[in-house]
Amino acid sequence: MPNFITHQDWLAITPLLIAGGGALIVLLVDLLWPKHSPRAVSLAIGIGVLLAAGAFAATTYGRSYNAFNGGFMLGGFAVVFQEIIVLSAILSLSLFGTFGRDDRMAGITALLLWSTTGAMLMAGAANLMTIFLGLELLSLALYCLCGVADRAASQESALKYLILSSTASGFLLFGMALLFGATGSVTLASLMLPGLAANPLYWMGGGFFLVGIAFKLSLMPFHVWSPDVYEGAPLPVTAFMSVVTKAGTLAVFARFAYALPAGGKLLLPFFVIAGVSMIGGNLAMLAQTDLKRLLAYSGVAQAGYMVAALAGASALGMRYAIYYLAAYMFMNLGAFAIVAVLSGEREEGAQIAAFRGLGQRRPWLAAAMSFFLLALAGFPPTAGFLGKILILAATVNAGYAWLAALLIAGTAISLYAYFKVLRLMYDPHDQPAPGPRTSAPLAYAGAALCAAFVIIMTFYPLTPSNVLPLVK
Amino acid sequence: MTPYAPVAIFAAVAVAAALAFSLLPGLLAQRKPNPEKEKAYECGVEPTSAIAGRFPVKFYLIAMLFVILDVEAASFYPWAVQMHALRMFGLIEMGAFIVVLGIGYAYVWKKRGFEWR
Repeated sequence: MPNFITHQDWLAITPLLIAGGGALIVLLVDLLWPKHSPRAVSLAIGIGVLLAAGAFAATTYGRSYNAFNGGFMLGGFAVVFQEIIVLSAILSLSLFGTFGRDDRMAGITALLLWSTTGAMLMAGAANLMTIFLGLELLSLALYCLCGVADRAASQESALKYLILSSTASGFLLFGMALLFGATGSVTLASLMLPGLAANPLYWMGGGFFLVGIAFKLSLMPFHVWSPDVYEGAPLPVTAFMSVVTKAGTLAVFARFAYALPAGGKLLLPFFVIAGVSMIGGNLAMLAQTDLKRLLAYSGVAQAGYMVAALAGASALGMRYAIYYLAAYMFMNLGAFAIVAVLSGEREEGAQIAAFRGLGQRRPWLAAAMSFFLLALAGFPPTAGFLGKILILAATVNAGYAWLAALLIAGTAISLYAYFKVLRLMYDPHDQPAPGPRTSAPLAYAGAALCAAFVIIMTFYPLTPSNVLPLVK
Repeated sequence: MTPYAPVAIFAAVAVAAALAFSLLPGLLAQRKPNPEKEKAYECGVEPTSAIAGRFPVKFYLIAMLFVILDVEAASFYPWAVQMHALRMFGLIEMGAFIVVLGIGYAYVWKKRGFEWR
């Protein structure tokens, strides 16, 4: 009933309303502009809206409030996830400087904003219904975004993603229904109820729920969609998808994992899957010839690392997972920004072969790409290195030493895959491949920002001990 | 007997019935095929061409837009029934809904989604 919703509740979701309403503004401007609004206008409004949403979300930092009868939680890690999501949306939007048709830019921007809204909702979602609402808002907009390019591969990726992801949503929804049957409530807190372990519905529901989550995180047996979809989707959309779906889903998984009684046996198979992803994702990277596919498999492994940090549901693990997610955002989006600079509309720069001799042709770009790849592989002094050390510490502390061992083994395998690209860029015997010269100032700026943060995050002031104690 | 036992029984019956209806004819029926029987329609219109032909996609665009607007319009009914209970809140909520719907409608119009081309 309406009188249950208070002023405070609306305040809690104001960042979401800004992002979602901003999409309408983008569309309205496009409507009122004589033909269609210029690309720069749509992008500027989109980035402005996201900045406003991020700024408003920041004001809720440290405030704790259960909006909509516990449907949306303010406080804790929600705001950190929201900021990560908003920032990756801004960075992805900035890559759109050279991609996509001009007359579709308003629609693309609006869809991206709605997708961001869904992910931000997931970041704070605390009952099964808001989780599903956020997930669907995120995914529905993404299906369309995958298909906006005029290439057959793009359409194919949209259809693949729609069908496979809908199936996964079905699993998730079925799991939610069974969990509701077991607990009689949609709140995650009710998973704490005593005596649930004797109920087969709880185990089945939890299992189905986790299958859906594993799909969205693209963990190993449920990852088959991600390389194909990443390859076909327009590059900025791939960049967006790789971080934002992971961030939103990781927030949901964290809430779920931390709501279970400590050491919940339900999660053990999930951590096994995470271990499989670390090894399998990195092994599959070795065979790739397309950089987007390579980064997709890299994402499979990285998602495994992040989930591993949450093993044992320790407060420390949560902070380290968030730290690694933020680091991953900068490393990954940085690498995507470099690919965007090298790519024209047909995305020929996404082929690994296009990096042949880049060290001679464009030394600065090659240096930046090397930096991001080394960070993804976990070299010091990058945030990727510190993040991996922290995750190792968290898993060993929580008594999951086998996950730590798998993480080290996976990292060792991944080195070979990342170095294959590096070797191609700097091998003196390789002739430089001719590539297009695109001018994409926003993509350059995005890459520079990412590189700066990958270094800054390793030192003051973004180290976990400084910022993250406030994350509970 | 848990409260879910009827659900399980229902599911078992449904699966069993579906399997029976699809498997039994194959086991029990006698087969005496002839060309007339092998046609797509044993009685009725003579098939003239292959089914896997090309068909215009523009119809689907119109149909899809219609379904979207139709389904959205269907959410007016619950509001109309509960209008007095929801009072001002319901009115504002519906206003916001119509604005969102209207912008979408205008957007499709401007992008020439309603034109038959």
